[in-house]
Amino acid sequence: MPAQNSGPSSFSLKLIRWLCRTELAEEIEGNLIEYHIQNSRSAVRFPALRYWFELLNYLRPSTLKKLKISKFEIMFNFNPLFTIRSLFKQGASSVINIMGFSMGLVCVLFLYFHIKSEMSYDNFHEDKDIIYRTLRVGMNDATPDRIGVTSGPFAPALQTDFPSSITATTRAMPADALVTIGERKFIEDNIVLADSNFFSFFSYPLLSGTADKVLDGTNKVVLTNETARRYFGDEDPIGKIINVDNSADFIVTGIMGDPPAKSHLEFSMVLNINLMTLDRWWNNGLFTYVKIPTPQEAAYVDGQLDEFMQKYFGEDFAAFGVSLSLTLEPLNELYFNNETSFDFVRHGDINTIYILGAVGLAILLIACFNYVNLSIAQSFKRAKEIAVRKVLGGHRTRLIFQFLGESITILLFATVLAFVFSLVLLPLFNSFFGLDIAINWGDSNLILFATILFGSTLLIAGLYPALLLSSFHPLKVLKGGKFSSGKNVVVRKSLVIAQFFISIFMIAATLLISRQMNFVQDKDLGFDKEAIVMLDINNNEIRQNLEAFKNSFADDPDMISVTATGGEPGGFHDATTMEVPGQADNHQLRIGWGDEDYFETFGIEIIHGRSFAQGLESDQDQTAVVNEMAMKNMGLTPEEVLGQNVTIPSWNLNLRIIGVSKNYNFTSLKEQMEPLIFVNGLRHRRVAIKLNAANLASAMTSVQEKWERFSPAYPMQYEFLDASIEQLYENEVKQGRVFSAFTAISILLACMGVFGLATYTARQRQKELGIRKVLGATAQQIIGLLSKEFLLLIVIASALAIPVTWYFMNQWLTDFVYKINIFSNWPLFLASGLAVGLVAFLTIGFKTWRAAVSNPTESIRYE
Amino acid sequence: MKGTNLGEFEELVLLIVLILQEEAYVLRIKDEVLAQIKRSVAMGALHSTLSRLEKKGFLGSEMSGATQERGGRRKRIYQLTGSGKEILKEANEQRQMLWNQIPDYALKFA
Repeated sequence: MPAQNSGPSSFSLKLIRWLCRTELAEEIEGNLIEYHIQNSRSAVRFPALRYWFELLNYLRPSTLKKLKISKFEIMFNFNPLFTIRSLFKQGASSVINIMGFSMGLVCVLFLYFHIKSEMSYDNFHEDKDIIYRTLRVGMNDATPDRIGVTSGPFAPALQTDFPSSITATTRAMPADALVTIGERKFIEDNIVLADSNFFSFFSYPLLSGTADKVLDGTNKVVLTNETARRYFGDEDPIGKIINVDNSADFIVTGIMGDPPAKSHLEFSMVLNINLMTLDRWWNNGLFTYVKIPTPQEAAYVDGQLDEFMQKYFGEDFAAFGVSLSLTLEPLNELYFNNETSFDFVRHGDINTIYILGAVGLAILLIACFNYVNLSIAQSFKRAKEIAVRKVLGGHRTRLIFQFLGESITILLFATVLAFVFSLVLLPLFNSFFGLDIAINWGDSNLILFATILFGSTLLIAGLYPALLLSSFHPLKVLKGGKFSSGKNVVVRKSLVIAQFFISIFMIAATLLISRQMNFVQDKDLGFDKEAIVMLDINNNEIRQNLEAFKNSFADDPDMISVTATGGEPGGFHDATTMEVPGQADNHQLRIGWGDEDYFETFGIEIIHGRSFAQGLESDQDQTAVVNEMAMKNMGLTPEEVLGQNVTIPSWNLNLRIIGVSKNYNFTSLKEQMEPLIFVNGLRHRRVAIKLNAANLASAMTSVQEKWERFSPAYPMQYEFLDASIEQLYENEVKQGRVFSAFTAISILLACMGVFGLATYTARQRQKELGIRKVLGATAQQIIGLLSKEFLLLIVIASALAIPVTWYFMNQWLTDFVYKINIFSNWPLFLASGLAVGLVAFLTIGFKTWRAAVSNPTESIRYE
Repeated sequence: MKGTNLGEFEELVLLIVLILQEEAYVLRIKDEVLAQIKRSVAMGALHSTLSRLEKKGFLGSEMSGATQERGGRRKRIYQLTGSGKEILKEANEQRQMLWNQIPDYALKFA
């Protein structure tokens, strides 16, 4: 029977039976059932919506059951008024509570949006679950070294060798170039050269053009919307011509819109990759992506990749004495895999996210603890009110709801404030931490998240006080007897300890992070980094005039030294293999390039032999300097190593070693120092100029002038060495900032809590203190008496916090090869305990001083 | 009792109850209001109008007529009481009286 099948949900009818008056329920249910059937027959639009509209419309005073209200309940009707009144009455602690909660909520809200945006990287690609990037894995040391870049032949070879598993491949190569449009020039750092199927492989949205056509020719270019606007303003960009690197013209065939989320590849335009010659297996510099439909097949392909590498590289591996394997990296994991080297895509740091999350929660917890503490402290003041309510017939459940209601009121105030704060503070927060959090009020999960956050905060903060307050025995309270409070004191004290614990942890961590960062920045790296400016050799004009450009600095007193190099400290040093005649084993080491002024410019000491000589043609591509570590690895004495011939097969070099340099940290201090060979060769990427630090500004102006003389068509791109070295520690610096800012907030909150508690204690013991004073106690003794309790808690908190901090900071420091000794920094731990103690003492002292100096007659006069 | 006046919608509902006779229960009244005077009313709203009219003493009601369509639930059939009929008549007469006083030309060019 169709009518039976299409009947309304039994839940809705239950709702009616439950809410509406018994005598009306039958009729209403009947009407609704009939209405439902009538709708299903006449095929109206949105029958379910209409049905529920009618149902909800039935719920009105004339149909609803009367609430059963006991005659005592009337006293609860004034609760909202009562709550507001008590908020005003307890001014200080209300402010502490509301401010505390709203600060905590703001932190958590920011973190929610930040974490959400970090987690959403690349999630807009339709095939995100089946896309993998291929990584080469070098077995340089014991730890495998994952390398992001591959070369051109990988993609077609993978496709041919695994025709059934790999359904599609694409390649993307990051590049930079000069773009000319008419008279205007732009240096573009974020160009991607990609296969013509790039837009159908990934899901970057195209505003115009079709995914499979936009790049099907080497003269086509796809611009992002933002780039198109920059180039052409409001004009229609399709069909316009742009010139790249003064060499070729491209026609704009497609416009890419903003992707719905961020992506690991960031680019301003996409060109066709076939502009490049891509047939050399060793010419690494692009990313190879494959699509494999199932995880099982991906695992199968991954297992076959060693064989694949042997097939194409076997001879080279044997000849060079290296070995590389290949592995698949799922697109979903790509963003947070930031350990890959030679990987020019955008990465995030999962540890930073964990730290931010933990810190945000810690702050919210401190706020909750403050609330619990202050509520317990004030509970005795409210004991009489509760007792009277109970005597008048108030139920315990009803009282619990009353107190939860008060918590809700406070939380609501705090939430409103939090939203206001987050709007005001967001730009500040972003610039301070170098983040780009955007608050999206339309976020689909925001309501859910906010509800869960609100609910859990309410439970953590509000439940215990509500249960405690409602449990008072009215008889005991009203008789004026002392009611036992031992358990509450324990709870209160442990919460204070927890707050101090968090504060001490944060202070100690902040101090250690900044100590480590100073250590890294001040460590003697083995080279000069001050006042060295590095210019990119980014075009042919300058490349051809390099010698003249260098020589033009010779007569300038502000330029101390100039060198052209491919391997400045902190920059890229390729890994390679060196053969020493007469030695069976090959040597793994890093390789760099420089001219005769390299060692002088960077102030690197040559301890044996000599540096590259000027004008000696025989030196070029023939001679090399190794560092001490490389010499030691070769097992030669300084006398033996000078004049030693070595070969580097992968670069086709036969070299004579002419000098040995001191070891210097040419990579980040997070890495171990490595053996290095420095070749006098012409593979230069940058010019480094050591300037006179006293005249930096004028020196830079004259560098700029000279650049314009030798390379008028291209803008100068430069970087200072100390700044670029600092960038190696960007993540750590960011973490340090997060910690110091949140430390301040957590201490502030904890102190607000202590202040509230001290206020309460002083008031409660007013009479006792008055009597003590009458009997001859001094103000100091009284302050001591009141502070003792808190100081003990701080000692306990320190004792707990120090080992925990110790453990966590040791973990953090394992990232660094060169690090401070945590043990010898023990005064830092002591200092953080003392700092918290001092701040708390001052906070308490401010309050207790008044109690201590007040006239005892004031406090004991009333009985 | 205060408020024994008849509102405009109340008057319409009374008339429709009279028209529907044995079929005068909420859902039918709702459909009829929609069909005859093109007004969409929720059953809940209609229910409160009807019970207000009951309270004023113009309507009476009784339960009857369980059908399969209603899942075996009975319906509440409304009927006009004597005073209900009286007030309808009274309202009609008042209107007529007022209509009669309007000069002929006043509505001519409406």
